[in-house]
Amino acid sequence: MPKIIIDGKEIEFKPGQTVIQAARENGIEIPHFCWHPSLSVSGNCRLCLVEIEKMPKLVISCSTTATEGMVVQTQSEKVIAARNAVMEFILINHPLDCPICDEAGECKLQDYTYQHSVGESRFTEEKNHKEKRIELGPNVMFDGERCISCSRCIRFCDEIVGEKELTFIKRGDRVTITTFPGKKLENPYSMNVTDICPVGALTNRDFRFKSRVWEMAPTKTICSGCARGCNIDLWTRNNEVLRITPRQNEDVNSFWMCDNGRLNTFKHVNANDRVSGPHLRKEGQLIKCGWDEAYAKTLSELKSFAKDEIAALASSSLTVEDTYLVSKFVRSTLNMKNFDFVRKVVAGSGDAILIREDKATNAKGFELMGVEPGKSASGGGLKFDEIISHIESGRIKALILIEEDLIGWNPAFEKILSKLDFLVTISTNFDASTSFANVVFPASTYAEKNGTWINFQGRIQRIRPAVTTIEMERSLDGMSQSRWDKFGTDFDSWGKAKKNDARPTWKIISGLASAFGTKYKFTMAEEIFNEIAHTNPLFTGLDYDVVGENGVQLKTETVKKKVTI
Amino acid sequence: MEKIVLPEIENFHQLDVYIQNAGYEAAKSAFTQTTNQIIDTVKKSGLRGRGGAAFSAGLKWSFMPKNNDKPKYLCVNGDESEPGSFKDRQILERNPHQLIEGTIIACYAIGAKSAYIYVRGEYHKWIKLLQKALDDAYEKGFVGEKMKETFGTDFSCNIYVHKGAGAYICGEESSLMNSIEGQRGYPRVKPPFPAQNGLWGNPTTINNVETITNIPPIIKKGWEWFSAIGEPKHPGTILFGVSGHVNNPGVFELPSGTLLTDIIYKYAGGVIGGKKIKCVIPGGSSMPPLRGDKLEGVKMDAESLKAVGSAIGTGGIMVMDEDTDLVRVLARIAKFYYHESCGQCTPCREGTGWMLKILNRLVRGEGTSKDLDLLITIAKNIEGNTICALGDAAAWPVKFMIARFREEFEAVVKDEVSLEPKNKVHSMRHTANPIAPVQV
Amino acid sequence: MEFKFSEENLQKIELVLKKYPTKQAAVMPVLYIAQEQNGWISKEVMVETASILEMNEEDVFGVVTFYTMYHKKEMGKYHIQVCTNVSCMLRGGYQIYDAVKEKLGLDNGDVSNDKKFSLEEVECMGSCGTAPMIAVNEDYFENLDKEKALQILDSLN
Repeated sequence: MPKIIIDGKEIEFKPGQTVIQAARENGIEIPHFCWHPSLSVSGNCRLCLVEIEKMPKLVISCSTTATEGMVVQTQSEKVIAARNAVMEFILINHPLDCPICDEAGECKLQDYTYQHSVGESRFTEEKNHKEKRIELGPNVMFDGERCISCSRCIRFCDEIVGEKELTFIKRGDRVTITTFPGKKLENPYSMNVTDICPVGALTNRDFRFKSRVWEMAPTKTICSGCARGCNIDLWTRNNEVLRITPRQNEDVNSFWMCDNGRLNTFKHVNANDRVSGPHLRKEGQLIKCGWDEAYAKTLSELKSFAKDEIAALASSSLTVEDTYLVSKFVRSTLNMKNFDFVRKVVAGSGDAILIREDKATNAKGFELMGVEPGKSASGGGLKFDEIISHIESGRIKALILIEEDLIGWNPAFEKILSKLDFLVTISTNFDASTSFANVVFPASTYAEKNGTWINFQGRIQRIRPAVTTIEMERSLDGMSQSRWDKFGTDFDSWGKAKKNDARPTWKIISGLASAFGTKYKFTMAEEIFNEIAHTNPLFTGLDYDVVGENGVQLKTETVKKKVTI
Repeated sequence: MEKIVLPEIENFHQLDVYIQNAGYEAAKSAFTQTTNQIIDTVKKSGLRGRGGAAFSAGLKWSFMPKNNDKPKYLCVNGDESEPGSFKDRQILERNPHQLIEGTIIACYAIGAKSAYIYVRGEYHKWIKLLQKALDDAYEKGFVGEKMKETFGTDFSCNIYVHKGAGAYICGEESSLMNSIEGQRGYPRVKPPFPAQNGLWGNPTTINNVETITNIPPIIKKGWEWFSAIGEPKHPGTILFGVSGHVNNPGVFELPSGTLLTDIIYKYAGGVIGGKKIKCVIPGGSSMPPLRGDKLEGVKMDAESLKAVGSAIGTGGIMVMDEDTDLVRVLARIAKFYYHESCGQCTPCREGTGWMLKILNRLVRGEGTSKDLDLLITIAKNIEGNTICALGDAAAWPVKFMIARFREEFEAVVKDEVSLEPKNKVHSMRHTANPIAPVQV
Repeated sequence: MEFKFSEENLQKIELVLKKYPTKQAAVMPVLYIAQEQNGWISKEVMVETASILEMNEEDVFGVVTFYTMYHKKEMGKYHIQVCTNVSCMLRGGYQIYDAVKEKLGLDNGDVSNDKKFSLEEVECMGSCGTAPMIAVNEDYFENLDKEKALQILDSLN
């Protein structure tokens, strides 16, 4: 491979790479605002100016193609002077309202001001004023004064989403960003502009003023919105999820995620209707009870039905670990055949960017583990539609419903569930389906447990707990911690976060199996995964460390090749 | 004295008069030569661009790729928006056919089938005049499909007039191309240069109106003739536009290397009221100004002006007498570049406004001595760090005007007595390693 | 207010489109045609222009606001442009500008109540050798002084 020398260090580059790309791949960060690895080069911020031997003027490293033997200085006196100059220019009209700016703490301008600026302003004139608090769209707020006109947001809409939506108007220092009059920034990916905005000009309206970023702890996990499984960070403070941001994974979602995933996949975690502790229906009301009482009740009820009078339906968003134990329990312990998974495909809802029609996170997992939804499990059992019709006709009298609100999904199922003699659910929240339940077990949400999902590409990816339940401890369980989490005491108001009495589904199933006399030895999701890895050839060689932060592509012939987005 | 670009022939702008004076014969002769021969002739003639940069026209043409299937384009730059420049307007009015003929020859030389003559939008009248000439040339078969028959060649090209709409920046070559393409007139990051990636991504050459108008005589009379006119390193005549405090302002076509003092006193009638000259800007408002007491012996060509610390630019000579308030002049120049900065890249977008704010303060008598050095450092921080040359154009007048007329500026500023606290951004904290990996 | 190009102007646009290999390239001339018909570039004009040229409305908006000669609001019947750049300034450009301002009672960018006049302080118009100057709509008036400039205003009906 050809080589260039940056700051005296010889590094290899791929032909065609620019200096900034080559530097970045070799761990040399050249400061930049407008350049973004996934967007076209605009060259407007001028911060990435470097000195290259035999070139008379400084050049921008984002648009300079590396050539064999090129000698680049990123720290020479000239470069530092130019960088200071650009930083000064950017700062003169910037409002410097970091104390009230959501971006503070994760702001490129703020970081660079500390790293690359002289620290004192020579600007004593009145700053330019521009429009503030512009609702560019339902999810994004714009502050014209903070904007540094880097055009990342415009290029994102043009190049990644393919919808123009944003443009520069006017010229000189009057330039600002806007939508066309009467139109909005409302593409399904609009909020990504808040991530790539290097300053606080574009902010997330849902998250605005909710928290300083350093008060939150980010957890590397996976979006639960669809079968894509976008890699995300789940941000929590005081045991509450406050926002989701996409996490780069070039094999899955690059730097992006959809607005729906960002906005609509965490609010149920914080909701007041969470099921906390097991509940039994007594005199028409669901009343909180102890775990043993709930297990005993379930055992005695289920034993009163014949095997072909019982069915189980599970969400196809269960983790691989949950799926494994549920199917083991149903097949071996209950020795039941009427067992299927609920597929959630919304025709026409997908696109060519990220969003999948399949709204479940692990349908591929069921397929690969041999419990493909819609097909009977081990031969002879009933499929989903048959289970429903058997309930309707009264042939099935008892149902185990796992992490699925059937009625919420399709209101027509209300009259189906009302026909049952016995309904036990494993639910994260009280919902339309639990209102028919006789027993409700409190399930941990995806934000409260470890596990894995297999996305539509056949890529296995880890979810991690970001929110604690009563049986978890943030520090002991190795969860990410903000300063609040680390240093909060019983005397601080933020130390008294609400914790739910909920358990991951595999653990609830494990308890139930125990009531039926079958003891599973698992104490952590990871142990289940290790057993799967030993028994299923598809998972050979995998463990949680191997799956890691970016997931692993399983070797299946049905798997699609690397997606390009 | 020979007039190449603006011959003193009555009604020369009319096609019949132009033809009577051997019009379109240069084109005819060009078609009997190879494109290489023509490029070679233009190279040897020493013709340098008249739009400001004074780059060799023939060399520029030779950058056009030869074996390339992509369509090629010629842009003719008549955006003429630099304050103090009003020469192209004379060509459009008095000699449009020579411009058209030059355009045809240039198209042939570089292999372009289409040429766009970009004229600034404010020149409504001159656009109409050019369009009339172009329509006549089409009608007589000098342009378009019919030229094949007229000239007995298998080459043909079309020429279109594109009207600007009020943006100085569109005189910058890549902005001009974006403007023709129907975009905001933002300069492009270079490289790639127009010869590789110009109009619609195709190889494109761009020349100034005056440069192109020089082509037919060079083809007709040969490079030896042209290169012998004026200064050898910058030969030919130049249209000098003289404005400001002179008795007889206007455009004068004179050999390159003519003495600046001759242009002012002999041709432009000297200074109004016989006053002394305080300052002359020799090439349009972005060029470094010269002191009135240092004009003796200054010759008007690219190399000679470089030697005295200025540049030929567009040949727009702005003369200011001894009573001129240079602080106001500089503030007005700064206002222009502030108004015209496209706003794409940081140093120019922010720096032009900053300089203007300080200069306005100086005009109001609220400047301090520190402001002068600040202005110079701002100008230096813009210079060379921008996408296009507008940054330099905005920086040079400030940098050089203050350096060369410091006493004028010192006279209006007070000593620094400000007790106001500094506008502290943050405390300095340079670290060897960044505190945390910075996100993309 | 609804905007549609007149038949005559649609034909002009057809001719303009022949000059360029892309439709977008015609946006500047088409905006001029629209401005001639409508007096200024309204939102509806931009929508119609974008539709005819198969462009994004946002791109048309970006272009309109980049160039100073497209009017972003209704201007006066006589749009008075006074150059105050250096060559004009040296020969009394500001005296003319101030006199015009005073006479019309308008500031830069203003339109008179009766919509007869609008005023713009413009940058160099290329009349440096015939300075100072004003332009009324598309016509240049050069070699002026304050009195001549005011006379021109008086002559406008």
